[in-house]
Amino acid sequence: MDKMTEEQYRAISNMLRKRSLWMLHYCTGCGAMELPPTMTSRYDMERFGIVPYVTPRQADILLVTGYVNIKTLRRIVTVYEQMLDPKYVIGFGSCPINGGVYWDSYSVIKRLDKYIPVDLYIAGCMPRPEAIITAFRYLMDLIDKGKADGYKRYKENLEFYKANQRKVLG
Amino acid sequence: MKDIIERVKKISNAEVSIRKDNLIFVDTSRERLISVLYDMKLLGFNQLSIMSAVDRLEDGEFEIFYVLYNYKEKVNAVVRSRIDRENAEIETAEKIYPPAHTYEREITEMFGIKVIGNSDSGKPFILENWKDKPPMRKDFDSVGYVNMHYEFRHSADEETEGKNE
Repeated sequence: MDKMTEEQYRAISNMLRKRSLWMLHYCTGCGAMELPPTMTSRYDMERFGIVPYVTPRQADILLVTGYVNIKTLRRIVTVYEQMLDPKYVIGFGSCPINGGVYWDSYSVIKRLDKYIPVDLYIAGCMPRPEAIITAFRYLMDLIDKGKADGYKRYKENLEFYKANQRKVLG
Repeated sequence: MKDIIERVKKISNAEVSIRKDNLIFVDTSRERLISVLYDMKLLGFNQLSIMSAVDRLEDGEFEIFYVLYNYKEKVNAVVRSRIDRENAEIETAEKIYPPAHTYEREITEMFGIKVIGNSDSGKPFILENWKDKPPMRKDFDSVGYVNMHYEFRHSADEETEGKNE
Protein backbone atom coordinates (compact mmCIF):
# COMPACT_ATOMS: atom_id res chain seq x y z
CA MET A 1 0.00 0.00 0.00
CA ASP A 2 2.86 2.39 0.72
CA LYS A 3 4.44 1.84 -2.65
CA MET A 4 1.26 2.45 -4.51
CA THR A 5 1.53 5.75 -6.29
CA GLU A 6 -1.22 8.29 -6.36
CA GLU A 7 -1.99 7.55 -9.99
CA GLN A 8 -2.41 3.87 -9.42
CA TYR A 9 -4.69 4.58 -6.49
CA ARG A 10 -6.76 6.94 -8.66
CA ALA A 11 -6.99 4.37 -11.46
CA ILE A 12 -8.30 1.71 -9.11
CA SER A 13 -10.78 4.04 -7.45
CA ASN A 14 -12.06 5.21 -10.85
CA MET A 15 -12.49 1.60 -11.93
CA LEU A 16 -14.51 0.87 -8.81
CA ARG A 17 -16.51 4.10 -8.97
CA LYS A 18 -17.81 3.47 -12.47
CA ARG A 19 -19.39 0.19 -11.42
CA SER A 20 -21.59 1.75 -8.76
CA LEU A 21 -23.28 4.92 -9.94
CA TRP A 22 -26.17 6.16 -7.88
CA MET A 23 -28.46 8.46 -9.75
CA LEU A 24 -30.35 11.25 -8.03
CA HIS A 25 -34.04 10.81 -8.70
CA TYR A 26 -34.74 14.51 -9.17
CA CYS A 27 -36.83 14.98 -12.27
CA THR A 28 -37.04 18.51 -13.58
CA GLY A 29 -38.85 18.31 -16.91
CA CYS A 30 -40.72 16.03 -19.25
CA GLY A 31 -37.67 13.74 -19.70
CA ALA A 32 -38.60 12.00 -16.48
CA MET A 33 -41.11 10.04 -18.59
CA GLU A 34 -38.31 7.97 -20.11
CA LEU A 35 -36.80 6.99 -16.76
CA PRO A 36 -39.38 4.48 -15.44
CA PRO A 37 -38.86 2.06 -18.38
CA THR A 38 -35.11 2.54 -18.02
CA MET A 39 -35.21 1.76 -14.32
CA THR A 40 -37.63 -1.13 -14.41
CA SER A 41 -37.46 -4.60 -15.88
CA ARG A 42 -37.78 -3.72 -19.60
CA TYR A 43 -34.35 -2.06 -19.86
CA ASP A 44 -33.15 -2.67 -16.30
CA MET A 45 -30.30 -0.26 -15.73
CA GLU A 46 -29.51 -1.92 -12.42
CA ARG A 47 -27.51 -4.53 -14.33
CA PHE A 48 -24.94 -1.76 -14.92
CA GLY A 49 -24.90 -0.84 -11.25
CA ILE A 50 -27.00 2.30 -11.66
CA VAL A 51 -29.59 2.77 -8.96
CA PRO A 52 -32.06 5.63 -8.53
CA TYR A 53 -31.63 7.28 -5.19
CA VAL A 54 -33.59 9.96 -3.40
CA THR A 55 -31.13 12.14 -1.48
CA PRO A 56 -28.43 14.32 -3.05
CA ARG A 57 -25.96 13.51 -0.25
CA GLN A 58 -25.58 9.91 -1.34
CA ALA A 59 -25.92 10.28 -5.10
CA ASP A 60 -23.22 10.45 -7.80
CA ILE A 61 -25.17 11.49 -10.89
CA LEU A 62 -27.46 14.47 -11.29
CA LEU A 63 -29.67 13.89 -14.30
CA VAL A 64 -31.21 17.14 -15.54
CA THR A 65 -34.18 15.79 -17.46
CA GLY A 66 -35.62 18.45 -19.73
CA TYR A 67 -36.06 22.19 -19.72
CA VAL A 68 -34.59 24.22 -16.88
CA ASN A 69 -36.39 27.41 -15.98
CA ILE A 70 -35.12 29.99 -13.54
CA LYS A 71 -37.06 28.62 -10.60
CA THR A 72 -35.72 25.12 -11.27
CA LEU A 73 -32.16 26.35 -11.80
CA ARG A 74 -32.06 27.79 -8.31
CA ARG A 75 -32.96 24.35 -6.89
CA ILE A 76 -30.60 22.52 -9.25
CA VAL A 77 -27.66 24.63 -8.08
CA THR A 78 -28.60 23.98 -4.44
CA VAL A 79 -28.91 20.25 -5.06
CA TYR A 80 -25.65 20.15 -7.04
CA GLU A 81 -23.75 21.87 -4.26
CA GLN A 82 -25.18 19.47 -1.69
CA MET A 83 -23.82 16.44 -3.53
CA LEU A 84 -20.48 15.03 -2.45
CA ASP A 85 -17.46 14.62 -4.72
CA PRO A 86 -17.14 12.92 -7.13
CA LYS A 87 -20.33 14.02 -8.84
CA TYR A 88 -21.38 13.95 -12.47
CA VAL A 89 -24.04 15.89 -14.37
CA ILE A 90 -25.86 14.59 -17.44
CA GLY A 91 -27.88 17.05 -19.54
CA PHE A 92 -30.81 15.09 -20.88
CA GLY A 93 -32.74 16.01 -24.04
CA SER A 94 -32.35 19.00 -26.30
CA CYS A 95 -33.58 21.66 -23.87
CA PRO A 96 -30.49 21.84 -21.61
CA ILE A 97 -28.29 21.95 -24.74
CA ASN A 98 -29.77 24.98 -26.52
CA GLY A 99 -33.25 25.66 -25.11
CA GLY A 100 -35.04 23.29 -27.47
CA VAL A 101 -38.59 24.36 -28.30
CA TYR A 102 -38.38 26.94 -25.53
CA TRP A 103 -35.71 28.94 -27.35
CA ASP A 104 -37.73 32.19 -27.11
CA SER A 105 -39.21 31.65 -23.65
CA TYR A 106 -38.48 34.34 -21.08
CA SER A 107 -38.19 31.87 -18.21
CA VAL A 108 -36.11 29.00 -19.63
CA ILE A 109 -32.31 29.10 -19.65
CA LYS A 110 -30.63 28.20 -22.92
CA ARG A 111 -27.35 26.58 -21.93
CA LEU A 112 -27.02 24.51 -18.79
CA ASP A 113 -23.21 24.38 -18.98
CA LYS A 114 -23.01 28.10 -18.24
CA TYR A 115 -24.37 27.52 -14.73
CA ILE A 116 -23.16 24.09 -13.63
CA PRO A 117 -20.50 21.91 -15.31
CA VAL A 118 -22.03 19.23 -17.53
CA ASP A 119 -20.07 16.04 -18.17
CA LEU A 120 -22.28 14.63 -20.87
CA TYR A 121 -25.22 15.59 -23.02
CA ILE A 122 -27.80 13.24 -24.49
CA ALA A 123 -29.39 14.79 -27.59
CA GLY A 124 -32.94 14.05 -28.64
CA CYS A 125 -36.49 14.98 -27.82
CA MET A 126 -36.95 12.62 -26.05
CA PRO A 127 -33.96 10.25 -25.94
CA ARG A 128 -35.00 6.62 -25.93
CA PRO A 129 -34.06 4.36 -23.00
CA GLU A 130 -31.38 2.81 -25.25
CA ALA A 131 -29.79 6.25 -25.63
CA ILE A 132 -29.83 6.75 -21.87
CA ILE A 133 -28.10 3.45 -21.28
CA THR A 134 -25.56 4.22 -24.04
CA ALA A 135 -24.87 7.55 -22.32
CA PHE A 136 -24.36 5.84 -18.99
CA ARG A 137 -21.90 3.42 -20.59
CA TYR A 138 -20.09 6.36 -22.17
CA LEU A 139 -19.98 8.11 -18.80
CA MET A 140 -18.47 4.98 -17.30
CA ASP A 141 -15.70 5.12 -19.91
CA LEU A 142 -15.09 8.77 -19.13
CA ILE A 143 -14.88 8.02 -15.41
CA ASP A 144 -12.52 5.13 -16.09
CA LYS A 145 -10.20 7.40 -18.07
CA GLY A 146 -10.52 10.15 -15.46
CA LYS A 147 -12.06 12.56 -17.98
CA ALA A 148 -15.37 13.16 -16.18
CA ASP A 149 -13.94 16.03 -14.15
CA GLY A 150 -16.91 18.40 -13.95
CA TYR A 151 -16.72 18.74 -10.19
CA LYS A 152 -13.06 19.78 -10.44
CA ARG A 153 -13.91 22.36 -13.12
CA TYR A 154 -16.64 23.73 -10.85
CA LYS A 155 -14.10 24.33 -8.10
CA GLU A 156 -11.49 25.84 -10.44
CA ASN A 157 -13.93 28.12 -12.30
CA LEU A 158 -16.21 28.90 -9.37
CA GLU A 159 -16.17 32.64 -10.08
CA PHE A 160 -17.27 32.05 -13.70
CA TYR A 161 -20.19 29.83 -12.72
CA LYS A 162 -21.26 32.02 -9.79
CA ALA A 163 -21.21 35.15 -11.97
CA ASN A 164 -23.43 33.46 -14.55
CA GLN A 165 -25.80 32.21 -11.84
CA ARG A 166 -26.04 35.66 -10.29
CA LYS A 167 -26.85 37.15 -13.69
CA VAL A 168 -30.08 35.16 -14.07
CA LEU A 169 -30.99 34.42 -10.45
CA GLY A 170 -30.35 37.89 -9.09
CA MET B 1 -83.84 25.61 -23.73
CA LYS B 2 -83.10 25.12 -20.12
CA ASP B 3 -84.91 27.10 -17.50
CA ILE B 4 -81.65 28.22 -15.91
CA ILE B 5 -80.66 30.11 -19.06
CA GLU B 6 -83.94 32.02 -18.96
CA ARG B 7 -83.18 33.00 -15.39
CA VAL B 8 -79.64 34.12 -16.29
CA LYS B 9 -81.13 36.35 -19.00
CA LYS B 10 -83.09 38.25 -16.35
CA ILE B 11 -79.89 39.51 -14.65
CA SER B 12 -79.78 43.23 -15.27
CA ASN B 13 -77.02 44.88 -17.35
CA ALA B 14 -75.81 41.60 -18.77
CA GLU B 15 -75.93 40.41 -22.38
CA VAL B 16 -76.38 36.67 -22.65
CA SER B 17 -75.35 34.77 -25.78
CA ILE B 18 -75.96 31.05 -26.08
CA ARG B 19 -73.17 29.02 -27.68
CA LYS B 20 -74.43 25.52 -26.93
CA ASP B 21 -77.05 23.83 -24.78
CA ASN B 22 -74.72 23.87 -21.83
CA LEU B 23 -72.46 26.83 -22.57
CA ILE B 24 -73.48 30.48 -22.25
CA PHE B 25 -71.54 33.72 -22.40
CA VAL B 26 -72.49 36.63 -20.16
CA ASP B 27 -71.00 39.99 -21.18
CA THR B 28 -71.11 42.85 -18.74
CA SER B 29 -69.37 46.09 -17.86
CA ARG B 30 -66.51 46.50 -15.42
CA GLU B 31 -68.72 48.27 -12.86
CA ARG B 32 -71.38 45.54 -12.87
CA LEU B 33 -68.94 42.62 -12.89
CA ILE B 34 -69.01 41.78 -9.19
CA SER B 35 -72.77 42.07 -8.86
CA VAL B 36 -73.30 39.85 -11.92
CA LEU B 37 -70.98 37.26 -10.37
CA TYR B 38 -73.00 37.49 -7.16
CA ASP B 39 -76.26 36.95 -9.05
CA MET B 40 -74.73 34.00 -10.87
CA LYS B 41 -73.75 32.42 -7.57
CA LEU B 42 -77.31 32.84 -6.28
CA LEU B 43 -78.51 30.99 -9.40
CA GLY B 44 -76.40 27.98 -8.45
CA PHE B 45 -73.14 28.57 -10.35
CA ASN B 46 -71.11 27.41 -7.39
CA GLN B 47 -67.78 26.56 -8.95
CA LEU B 48 -65.19 28.98 -10.31
CA SER B 49 -63.35 26.74 -12.77
CA ILE B 50 -60.83 29.31 -13.95
CA MET B 51 -60.43 33.02 -14.11
CA SER B 52 -57.94 34.79 -16.32
CA ALA B 53 -57.40 37.65 -18.72
CA VAL B 54 -56.81 38.12 -22.45
CA ASP B 55 -54.77 40.99 -23.83
CA ARG B 56 -56.73 42.61 -26.68
CA LEU B 57 -53.89 44.82 -27.82
CA GLU B 58 -55.59 46.14 -30.98
CA ASP B 59 -58.59 47.37 -28.94
CA GLY B 60 -56.45 48.74 -26.13
CA GLU B 61 -58.35 46.62 -23.63
CA PHE B 62 -58.02 43.62 -21.35
CA GLU B 63 -60.75 41.01 -21.36
CA ILE B 64 -61.37 39.48 -17.93
CA PHE B 65 -63.26 36.22 -17.88
CA TYR B 66 -64.61 33.91 -15.18
CA VAL B 67 -65.63 30.36 -16.13
CA LEU B 68 -68.39 29.16 -13.80
CA TYR B 69 -70.13 25.82 -13.53
CA ASN B 70 -73.53 24.84 -12.23
CA TYR B 71 -73.45 21.29 -10.87
CA LYS B 72 -77.19 20.92 -10.56
CA GLU B 73 -78.12 22.06 -14.08
CA LYS B 74 -74.79 21.04 -15.67
CA VAL B 75 -74.29 24.37 -17.41
CA ASN B 76 -71.05 26.27 -18.00
CA ALA B 77 -71.17 30.05 -17.96
CA VAL B 78 -68.42 32.46 -18.97
CA VAL B 79 -68.73 35.92 -17.44
CA ARG B 80 -66.71 38.41 -19.49
CA SER B 81 -65.84 42.03 -19.16
CA ARG B 82 -63.57 44.51 -20.93
CA ILE B 83 -61.37 46.98 -19.04
CA ASP B 84 -59.01 49.68 -20.18
CA ARG B 85 -55.42 48.69 -20.80
CA GLU B 86 -54.06 51.87 -19.19
CA ASN B 87 -54.19 51.74 -15.38
CA ALA B 88 -56.03 48.43 -15.48
CA GLU B 89 -57.91 47.71 -12.26
CA ILE B 90 -60.61 45.25 -11.22
CA GLU B 91 -62.37 44.56 -7.92
CA THR B 92 -61.68 41.31 -6.15
CA ALA B 93 -64.14 38.41 -6.37
CA GLU B 94 -62.65 36.48 -3.47
CA LYS B 95 -65.63 37.21 -1.17
CA ILE B 96 -67.92 35.44 -3.66
CA TYR B 97 -65.52 32.79 -4.98
CA PRO B 98 -62.59 32.18 -2.55
CA PRO B 99 -60.39 30.43 -5.20
CA ALA B 100 -60.30 33.74 -7.08
CA HIS B 101 -57.72 34.92 -4.55
CA THR B 102 -54.92 32.89 -6.17
CA TYR B 103 -56.05 33.56 -9.74
CA GLU B 104 -56.05 37.28 -9.05
CA ARG B 105 -52.48 37.16 -7.78
CA GLU B 106 -51.48 35.40 -11.01
CA ILE B 107 -53.29 38.01 -13.12
CA THR B 108 -51.54 40.82 -11.26
CA GLU B 109 -48.15 39.29 -11.90
CA MET B 110 -48.61 38.10 -15.47
CA PHE B 111 -50.68 41.01 -16.87
CA GLY B 112 -50.06 43.87 -14.46
CA ILE B 113 -53.76 44.28 -13.68
CA LYS B 114 -54.22 45.71 -10.20
CA VAL B 115 -56.82 43.95 -8.05
CA ILE B 116 -58.54 46.17 -5.48
CA GLY B 117 -59.36 44.44 -2.22
CA ASN B 118 -57.04 41.46 -2.63
CA SER B 119 -54.52 41.73 0.18
CA ASP B 120 -51.84 39.67 -1.61
CA SER B 121 -52.15 41.35 -4.99
CA GLY B 122 -48.72 42.57 -6.05
CA LYS B 123 -46.71 40.26 -3.81
CA PRO B 124 -44.19 38.02 -5.59
CA PHE B 125 -45.94 34.84 -6.71
CA ILE B 126 -44.52 32.82 -9.62
CA LEU B 127 -41.81 34.94 -11.20
CA GLU B 128 -38.70 35.49 -9.13
CA ASN B 129 -36.95 38.86 -9.20
CA TRP B 130 -38.95 40.07 -12.17
CA LYS B 131 -38.13 43.65 -13.11
CA ASP B 132 -39.39 43.83 -16.70
CA LYS B 133 -42.85 44.38 -18.17
CA PRO B 134 -45.44 41.70 -17.17
CA PRO B 135 -44.65 38.82 -19.53
CA MET B 136 -48.16 37.89 -20.69
CA ARG B 137 -48.82 41.32 -22.20
CA LYS B 138 -48.80 41.14 -25.98
CA ASP B 139 -46.30 44.00 -26.33
CA PHE B 140 -43.74 42.20 -24.15
CA ASP B 141 -40.80 41.35 -26.42
CA SER B 142 -39.93 37.78 -25.46
CA VAL B 143 -37.09 37.34 -27.98
CA GLY B 144 -35.59 40.68 -26.98
CA TYR B 145 -35.71 39.70 -23.33
CA VAL B 146 -34.07 36.36 -24.11
CA ASN B 147 -31.28 38.00 -26.15
CA MET B 148 -30.62 40.40 -23.29
CA HIS B 149 -30.53 37.84 -20.48
CA TYR B 150 -29.41 34.48 -21.90
CA GLU B 151 -26.65 33.24 -24.16
CA PHE B 152 -27.36 30.94 -27.06
CA ARG B 153 -25.19 28.10 -28.24
CA HIS B 154 -24.35 29.30 -31.73
CA SER B 155 -22.52 26.37 -33.31
CA ALA B 156 -21.65 22.84 -32.46
CA ASP B 157 -17.87 23.29 -32.70
CA GLU B 158 -17.86 26.29 -30.43
CA GLU B 159 -15.70 25.80 -27.38
CA THR B 160 -17.99 24.73 -24.56
CA GLU B 161 -17.55 24.21 -20.88
CA GLY B 162 -19.00 20.72 -21.07
CA LYS B 163 -18.24 17.89 -23.41
CA ASN B 164 -20.62 16.91 -26.14
CA GLU B 165 -21.31 13.39 -27.09
